[in-house]
Order: sequence, then structure tokens, then C-alpha cells
Amino acid sequence: MKQSNIRNFCIIAHIDHGKSTLADRILEKTGAISKRELKQQMLDSMDIERERGITIKLNAVQLKYKYKNNMYQLNLIDTPGHVDFSYEVSRSLAACEGAILVVDAAQGVEAQTLANLYLAMDNGLEIIPVINKIDLPSADIDKVVGELENIGFDKDKIILTSAKTGEGIDKLLESIIEDIPSPKGDINKPTKALIFDSLFDAYRGVITSIRVMDGEIKVGDIIKMMETNADYDVVGLSINTPKEEKVKSLKAGEVGYLYASIKSISDVHVGDTITLESNPAKEALPGYKPMKSMVYSGLYPIDSSKFEDLREALEKLKLNDSSLVFEPETSKALGFGFRCGFLGLLHMEIIEERIEREFKIDLIATSPSVVYEVVLTDGSKETVDSPVKMPKRELISKTLEPYVKTSIFAPSEYIGPIMELCQDKRGTFINMDYLDTDRVCINYEIPLAEIVYDFFDKLKSHTKGYASFDYEFIGYKESNLVKMDILLNGEIVDALSTIVHKDFAYNRGKQIVEKLKEIIPRQMFEVPIQAAIGSHIISRTDIKALRKNVLAKCYGGDVSRKKKLLEKQKEGKKRMKQIGSVEVPQEAFLSILSTKE
Amino acid sequence: MNLNQKNKSCYIHIPFCDHICSYCDFCKMFYNSNFVDRYLLELEKEIDSLYSNEVLDTIYIGGGTPSCLSVDELEKLFRIINKLKRSKSCEYTIEGNFNSTSKEKLDLYKKYGVNRLSFGIESIDKNNLRLLDRSLDKDEVIDIINYSKSIGLDNINVDLIYAIPGEDINTLDKDIDFILSLDVKHISTYSLMIEDNTKLKINNTKYIEEDIDYSMYKHICNRLNNYNHYEISNFSTLGYESRHNLCYWKNDNYYGFGLGASSYINNIRYTNTKSLNKYLDGKYILDKEILNKEDIIEYEIILNLRLKEGIDLLYFKDKYNIELNKLYDYNNLVKGKLLVLDNNKLYIPEDKLYVSNEIIVKLLENKI
Repeated sequence: MKQSNIRNFCIIAHIDHGKSTLADRILEKTGAISKRELKQQMLDSMDIERERGITIKLNAVQLKYKYKNNMYQLNLIDTPGHVDFSYEVSRSLAACEGAILVVDAAQGVEAQTLANLYLAMDNGLEIIPVINKIDLPSADIDKVVGELENIGFDKDKIILTSAKTGEGIDKLLESIIEDIPSPKGDINKPTKALIFDSLFDAYRGVITSIRVMDGEIKVGDIIKMMETNADYDVVGLSINTPKEEKVKSLKAGEVGYLYASIKSISDVHVGDTITLESNPAKEALPGYKPMKSMVYSGLYPIDSSKFEDLREALEKLKLNDSSLVFEPETSKALGFGFRCGFLGLLHMEIIEERIEREFKIDLIATSPSVVYEVVLTDGSKETVDSPVKMPKRELISKTLEPYVKTSIFAPSEYIGPIMELCQDKRGTFINMDYLDTDRVCINYEIPLAEIVYDFFDKLKSHTKGYASFDYEFIGYKESNLVKMDILLNGEIVDALSTIVHKDFAYNRGKQIVEKLKEIIPRQMFEVPIQAAIGSHIISRTDIKALRKNVLAKCYGGDVSRKKKLLEKQKEGKKRMKQIGSVEVPQEAFLSILSTKE
Repeated sequence: MNLNQKNKSCYIHIPFCDHICSYCDFCKMFYNSNFVDRYLLELEKEIDSLYSNEVLDTIYIGGGTPSCLSVDELEKLFRIINKLKRSKSCEYTIEGNFNSTSKEKLDLYKKYGVNRLSFGIESIDKNNLRLLDRSLDKDEVIDIINYSKSIGLDNINVDLIYAIPGEDINTLDKDIDFILSLDVKHISTYSLMIEDNTKLKINNTKYIEEDIDYSMYKHICNRLNNYNHYEISNFSTLGYESRHNLCYWKNDNYYGFGLGASSYINNIRYTNTKSLNKYLDGKYILDKEILNKEDIIEYEIILNLRLKEGIDLLYFKDKYNIELNKLYDYNNLVKGKLLVLDNNKLYIPEDKLYVSNEIIVKLLENKI
């Protein structure tokens, strides 16, 4: 295909604004799949994606579309919508020339609409604004048009669609061809192809998603990874239509999949450039800056013999999610596990869920922590991504914690509750803008640790779910932080330690011990739960001893029933972790996160 | 190992009641004389088809409410049961309530060799009785008990239910006072269980608090200290333990005839259907659990540990040809005082019987 007939584009949107449904409709319209084949939201191939309604793994699909008697190749590259995944968004943006910005006709411009828009603009993409879900009874098109105008779009350029009814899709396809520039690569230059995604296939090894920028790659070529310097024979090339189709070559401007018997996951870096061994390019494409992990958590297999399985699972996940970082760590309470770094809380939850679901490893996740900085009395500086690594108090001269700037979009009637919440979360007010007469954007500086803790849940409940929210890291600030330990039956459980602001320690300690008391079942003996800073106990409660666990009446010789009951109890115990003499359920380790006032 | 032991016990289920209690999830239905006739016919067929002529040491007629059958129906029932061979000392029990037990029926029991009676008192407190949907006339109770004793039916059990929502220790004390005044040989006590498909559950009744439940249990144990607390829920004067129930707890074989009855024959646990139609069609069995040696041993442990005397390690070795400590490591539990090892008996100490499930699970987890 001539480059002038190729369009590479992605769809960006705030979560739930209908991105995946719109993609499905485009697939159907271009005849890539029939309506009957259309499993709702075709591009989201993982179960979790379909259940949570968010796209977490990249997918590229090639479509053919006839327009004004010319055949066009449209490469639709799917992107995740959530704030945690702005790194992946930028990966797919780099493979495109244009982006469709989808806004929900009822919800209007939201926090991640803007965050994603700015990312696309930074990448120099042509942007097509689309108002979707115009079929909804609650759609307020004029209002949303006004909001889009306020952020700089031309009213006449806005396309109205309903992915549900199919309205406006033809116009959108027309605009993709007319407005998005074709790729401008040079087929005669040495080959450069960008790896923008990869996944592991049990039969074919590592499969990479690539966008050829210059030159051409053919089956049988010897390729070189410019960053890792590794060489491979190209075993196969294919495109996704969305059925896999083998092709002989991929030329400048095209998008497809490449497999080359790459066995080692570590040889493939998303963001790396592929060139040909025979005629290598001199310079690699600008790669991505690896995103910094914002949240750390310890992941431990409940069954300690599954440690190696967990390592393998993490390695496989890292293959198409290079933002995941992990290193082994040991906990006295939980044994061998991994300290894992995530882009944010959702990222963390999804990784945990994938490990449990796809790799069938039952996990204990410790309460997430941000990365603190500690200046010691001798002037040296340490970063602390786990409460366990917090230096002794007498060695610390000052502690710093990461701050973020939050943008909260909400109807103006919730200004009061939102500001109250932000103050509670140690926030500092920056400013507030009216988007229109009844919607505001409120900006606060808030410690990231508070966001990690329960900010999002609280925000939802304070605004009846009407607020949307995004944040960006702005830097470190000094803060009076202390490590708080939790003792079960008199012994410190390292996996339950947290770092808290000193002024908030007493309350937090009280909440945690109360919550643990709810979660940990009664044991054969009384178990005190204490929160302590150093040797100073700041809160205490006791789990009473188990009094009753008996099947009093066994009726008419029906003893099978009793055995079944005991078997159920035995199964229940398998999901507990034995810490000292106390049996602790999985969820206790996250209880620190979900304490409610 | 000789696990194919002879059956020495038999349970017979009479599912009819003239009244349904709010907590009852047993296999029962309202009394209807047409159905009783057909039921007894089918019961006889079931017995004929399965019974292989053993001499039985215990027979237990449970329900439902067996005493709600008419004198004629009872007589039919006893004639059917007479097909079963009874040993000289056979323990022959019938359950009943006081409302439907008459002197005439007691005489009939006596005539047919019944030698043990089991009555549900449950409580004498008005509020408790209202919640349980039961009625009780104390004078009637005393009358029936005295008459039974006078005709030589002196091996009597009464049931007591405690931990009833709203109940306190004083109420419980009055129940115990009354029961003690009857001077019976055997007392069974059960904390109220709120089971699925009962009126209590449907009404969303909540359990009494665990600590109160436990204190009531302790209180009962203290007040009944003249009785032998030989099993979690059972107290008796010496020599009057329920031999039929001991057969369950000792993991011995037993027949179970009738609707919803369970039996244990040659390493298979059977559960009969609870559907009267199917039963009357001759489709008796609902479920079969075929046990391997491992299962049988698990049952042995689970059931034996209900008993005060626990597991007799010598008997165990004799029965299974292996020592228990080669199969399960109980040393830590003994060290932790959750089990007691004394004179070749392994048992749960009396003060921990109420958390026996917890201890049994711990033991089963320690499989070698």
C-alpha cells in the first residue's frame, strides 16, 4: 500500500466515554467483522478488560476502507484510557499520526479527556474531536460543544456520533482520511521500526507490535534491536484484521506484528528500534522515557512454594507492560515475595488480578506505599519505597514525600465537599476554574500517599460519583513522617507497617487496629492488636478468644454433613497466612488501605 | 483391616409431625393418615430389601414425631420392626413429644419391647417456646414421665435447646431446674441453629452472641455435673449413654430406613431421598458416598473426637492396622493443650469441646 493511502490513528478518551464501542463500530463499518461476529468490544481481548470496561493491553488492527474510489489502509491502535496508563498511551501515540478524541455527550470534558489530549498534542498528532453517545436521553450536545470550544477546538470540526446506533461513523471515517496526515517515512532509507508493544506466546515466543517508520522488513530478514543489540531472523510477520493474517513484508508507514523466535523476554524493550543487520540505521528512534513507579507494594504467594511461579508471572506481565518493576524481597511475616512498583493504584489492582486469574497464584498484597526520601543526619539521602526500609528515627534529619497536583472536575454544587476532603487529605488549594456555568475544575496539591490511601473512593462518595479526577507528580516536599508498626500478639508484623504523617498517626493507628479486629477471625486464644511508633504503643484492641466452633447436633446419623462442614473450614484455612501463632486472612494486609472513618 | 463389620444398629425415620417447629430443618411433613399407611408399606419393603438378618443391638425410631402416629399405626410400625432381630439387651428407642404421647401409646411401646424414650422439651419459657413455635404443658410432662417410669420405661432422654435469641442465663436456669426435677437418665442439649429453609431463617433471625452462647454452654455443663458429659451435646447417668448414638460416634455401621435416613454399610454412606413421592416409588437412595481407607479414617477421627473418651489408640491400631501418629502428627496439638494424650486415649479436653471443629481441622491439616 502506498503511504499516501495509509492512516495510523488511535482513539483517546476519559474512561467509559465509549472508546471501545466506537472502535467496534469502526470495525463493523469497514467490514472487518460482521455484526454477528462482533463480540462486544472486540479490541479488548482480556477478560479483565471486558469486565472492568477498560483497555489495558495494546491492540492494533488493520482495516480496509474504500473512499472516493481509492482503497485506504486504516491502522487503529487501541490505547488505555486510565490515568495510570499514560505511559502506554504515549507508546501508542508514537505509532500514530492522528488521534480521535472521544467525549461523552452526557458527561462532557473530564479530567482524563484533557490529560490524554495534552499527551497527543505533545506527540504532534492531528486531533479529531468527537462527541459520542448522542443517542443518550441525557446527552447535552450544545454544552459539550461549548466545552470543546473552550479548550480550543473549532466548532465546525466536531463530529457527532453514536457508537450504539452507528450515526456519524461514516463522517468520522471520512475525516480520518481527509484530516489525518499520511505517514511520511522513506522506504529507501535504512529500516527503522518502533516496538510499541509485545506479548509472550507459548508457541511463538515473544511477539512484538511494530510501526515501520522507514524502509521495510521482510520475512527472513535478520533484524537487530538497537538498544539491546540482539539479532534475530524474522520468522513471521502478520497483521490483525482482527483475525491474524500473515504478510510477507511490512513497509514504511505500516503497522503489524513481528515474531522472530525471541525466547528471552529481556531482549525486547518496548520503545526500542528494530533495524536490519545488513543495512543498519545510524540512530534509533526517540524511545520512551520509562515511567517512574509511583506506588509500591509487596506481592507474596500465599503458598510459599509458588515463589518461582510468581517470578515467572511477573516476567511475563512485564513483557507487554514495561512500567511494571519488581525485585525480590523477604518479609518475616510473609516469607519470600517481590516488591513491585506500579504507575498507580489501578495498575496495581490489575496486575494483582491478572496474576491471580491468569497464573492462578493466590496472593497477599501488602498495603501500597509511595516512594519517600529521607535525609540522614550525616547529610546523605535515601529513597524508601517500603516501610521496612525506613531508617531508625535517630538517624533521620528530615523526611520528604511526593506531592501531586490534582485536577478534579465536578459539578459546582460539590465544591464544598471536595474542598473539605482535600483539606482532610493534607491538601493545599491552588486554584479553581469554571468550565461552564455549573462545572468546575479544582486544583489542589496533595501528598501522593493520601491519593493512594483512599482519596478516590472518598471523592466518589463525596460527589455521588460525579467527579472525575487526574493527577500529576510535581515533586517532593518536607513532611513529618513516622513509621507505624502493627503488632499481633506482641510481635511486629513487618508486612503491616506503614509510613504516616505524625499528626495523623494516632487516628490512622486506631482505624487500622479496629479494622484488623473485624477482619481477623477469633483464634484459640485472645490476640492483642497494637499500633506502635517505635516502642510507644498508640492504640490497642483485642480479638477475643474463639468460644464456639462446633456442630452441636448431628442428626439421625447424617454425619456426612459434618465432614463437609469441616472440609469447608479446612479450605478456608488454606487461604490464611500463619503469622506466629495467628491465622491472618489475605485481606488483612490491604486493610490499612480501606479503613473507613 | 476388617472394615466390613456387621451392622448392629438401625435407624428408622418417621417423617410425620402434627406441628412444624420454627427451627426444624429435618425431614418432616404434616401428619396425614393416608400417607402414613402408604409410607409404612414402603418402609416395610425397604427393610425387606436391605436387611440381611443381623442381630441388632440398637434400634432408634426418630423423626419427625413418631409419637404423632395413631395407636393403630404405631402397632403396624412395631410389627414391621419386629422383623428385625434384636439382641437380648437391645436398646430400643422411640422419639416423641409430650402432646402426642398418651398412656395408651406408652403401654403399646412397652408391649413391643421399646425400652428407651426420647422427648423434646426444648424449653419451658413462654418467650422461647413462642420463638421455637412449640407448646408445652409442664403438668403433662410430669404426668407422662411418671407414668413411663411406673411401667418400667425409665431410660428416658429429654432435649433442651439453649442460646435462643432473647434468652438469658436466668431463663436457662429455670429450664435446667425443670429438667433436673424430672430425674431422667439422659439429657441432650443443643444450641439453637438457624438453618436454611426454616421459619427462623426466613424471618431473618440472628444468632445470639458467641460469648453468651459459650457462657450458657459452660453453665449447662456446671449445672449438669452429676451427669456424665460423655459427648459434646450429651449427658447421662452412668451406664445410660445412648448406645445408638455411640454407634455413630464410633464410626460403626448402621442401617437407616425411611425418608431422608442415612446409613453406613460396608464402607459406603448412603443418604435416602427426602422426596416422599420418590420414596413411595421405591427410589430410596439419593446419594452414595463411597469411602476409601483414608476417608474412613478421617470419619473415625472426626466422630471419635466428639466423645469425651476421644480416640482409643489401641482400638484404632487394631481396626486400621496402623498407628494414628503414623498418619497424623498430633504432638504439637498435645503440647498446645488442644488435645490430651492419656492412657492410649487421645481426646479434646472438656473445656475445649466447644471449639472442637477448630481442633479437628488443625489435626486433619497435620496429615503426614
